[in-house]
Amino acid sequence: MDEQGPATDTAGSATGGGPTVRARGITKVFPRGKVVALEDVSFVIKSGQFTSVVGPSGCGKSTLLRLVAGLIPRSYGELDVHGSDVTGPRTDIAMMFQRPILLPWKTALENVVLPRKIRGRLDERDWREGRSLLRLLALEEFRHAYPQHLSGGMQQRVALARLLITGADLLLMDEPFASLDEFTRERLNLELLRIQSEVAATVMFVTHNITEAVFLADQVLVMTPRPGRLAGIVEVPFGRPRTIELLRSPEFNDLAFKVRGLLGESI
Amino acid sequence: MKTREDPDVAAVEAQRLTELETSSLARRVGSAWPAFLVFALLVAAWEGAARAELISRLVLPAPSRIFLALIELFTSGLIWEHLRATFLETMAGFAVGAGSAFVLAVLSSFWGWFRQIVSPYMIILQVTPRVALAPIFITWFGFGLMPKIVMAATICFFPVFINTLTGLLNTDEEALEMFRSMGASKRQIFTQFTMPSAMPVTFAGLKTGITLALIGAIVAEFVATSQGLGLLIDRFNFRLAMEEAFAVLLVLALLGLLLYGVMEFLDRRIVFWTREERLSKREIRSRRGREDTA
Repeated sequence: MDEQGPATDTAGSATGGGPTVRARGITKVFPRGKVVALEDVSFVIKSGQFTSVVGPSGCGKSTLLRLVAGLIPRSYGELDVHGSDVTGPRTDIAMMFQRPILLPWKTALENVVLPRKIRGRLDERDWREGRSLLRLLALEEFRHAYPQHLSGGMQQRVALARLLITGADLLLMDEPFASLDEFTRERLNLELLRIQSEVAATVMFVTHNITEAVFLADQVLVMTPRPGRLAGIVEVPFGRPRTIELLRSPEFNDLAFKVRGLLGESI
Repeated sequence: MKTREDPDVAAVEAQRLTELETSSLARRVGSAWPAFLVFALLVAAWEGAARAELISRLVLPAPSRIFLALIELFTSGLIWEHLRATFLETMAGFAVGAGSAFVLAVLSSFWGWFRQIVSPYMIILQVTPRVALAPIFITWFGFGLMPKIVMAATICFFPVFINTLTGLLNTDEEALEMFRSMGASKRQIFTQFTMPSAMPVTFAGLKTGITLALIGAIVAEFVATSQGLGLLIDRFNFRLAMEEAFAVLLVLALLGLLLYGVMEFLDRRIVFWTREERLSKREIRSRRGREDTA
């Protein structure tokens, strides 16, 4: 494919393993109104890598994530996760949304174990794991609270625990913290990085915030709208664990500006 | 939504729960006294007006006389047979009407084609003044319980159907997407998500439905019957025994209140999450127990 961006260097990741996601020329045309949401997008995400997808609204980043999740079918192109074609939702892929989508009639813990309940009867181990995930997210004492009694940040942390309990090693996150205030979001981003390294998951994280995209990721997919295209892939060479101090460094700012440059006229 | 991320948020939350639990009863009693006062004044004024013969006994008998008639109705045992009949008609009618409405609403939510076939009949049923069907039902089913049950069922059907259907169709698209991403089957999505989501609206329909079922039963009794509270009112009215007629009316009001109260209680039990004060410590404890045994 000739569509790989100027900054592409697929061999350069710090945390690389084998490929988890391999997309070649994927295109999505919505039949109603024949809208081209995505055109010829190609990229590789290695195992254990954190990939941000950044772009303005309408660039197809959410569509891209739903394609990888197997929630909508693609029109053209190849898409493999763990070497096998994505044809529908799979147990090795899990997704988190912008809103927490917690069930108000279930407690925090009951919400967390929901994916296990979908797969079969809940047993002692499921409850235990749910509880220890809530502990990991500092919510253990709220396990019997109903979501509507939790703050927005806490609700999204419950949703994160529910994402993790699936045991999927490809985690798709669609602007998960976008509706939270700045402070809560920063804190949850750091928490996410800590957890990602702990569970060694591969993450694909959609955002419209350039700083957030660069801070979190090993590589940033930069997308532009109408039609949704991949403008380039920016490798982020900074080591881990990362701290907020990184935001102050000139190298960080150079990368953020590089991403901004790729977005060009589209913002 | 407020952000409460502080470490001492647990303490705050616990305190808030205690406040909710202790204050709600006191607040309810405290805020109810003006209503009681107004009620007492109204009854007293009515009693006074009746005793001073400002109003004819045939128009509005004194509350004290109605009360005596009420006691007489129960001590003589006259009321029981009729109360039992009306109660049975209402409950059976509600069970049939609400039950079939629920099933049809679920089927209509599953299949668009089914909804298209069914909805014109629903609209016709809704715009027809259904009480006009009472004489026809009597002709069809005779003088026993049957025509009353059918009338009660017919009249309480619509609110349950339309509310349940609205609740089932009005689902959060993103939540459906989330369930699909978890690999949930259609049945799981229905039982785990769509059905519980529809419960608040369904219960609103059930509460309207149960009071309508009582109306249906009484209307059918007015047309022709051998027993029932409707018959009793009709008979006392005919004899100009207004105290007794009002006493039966009071019994009917209490029956309606009881039926509605039961539905309201079930609503609060089952659809606990729509009200803030549902989260009591007791509730959390009972759920904790359930989870530990699971």
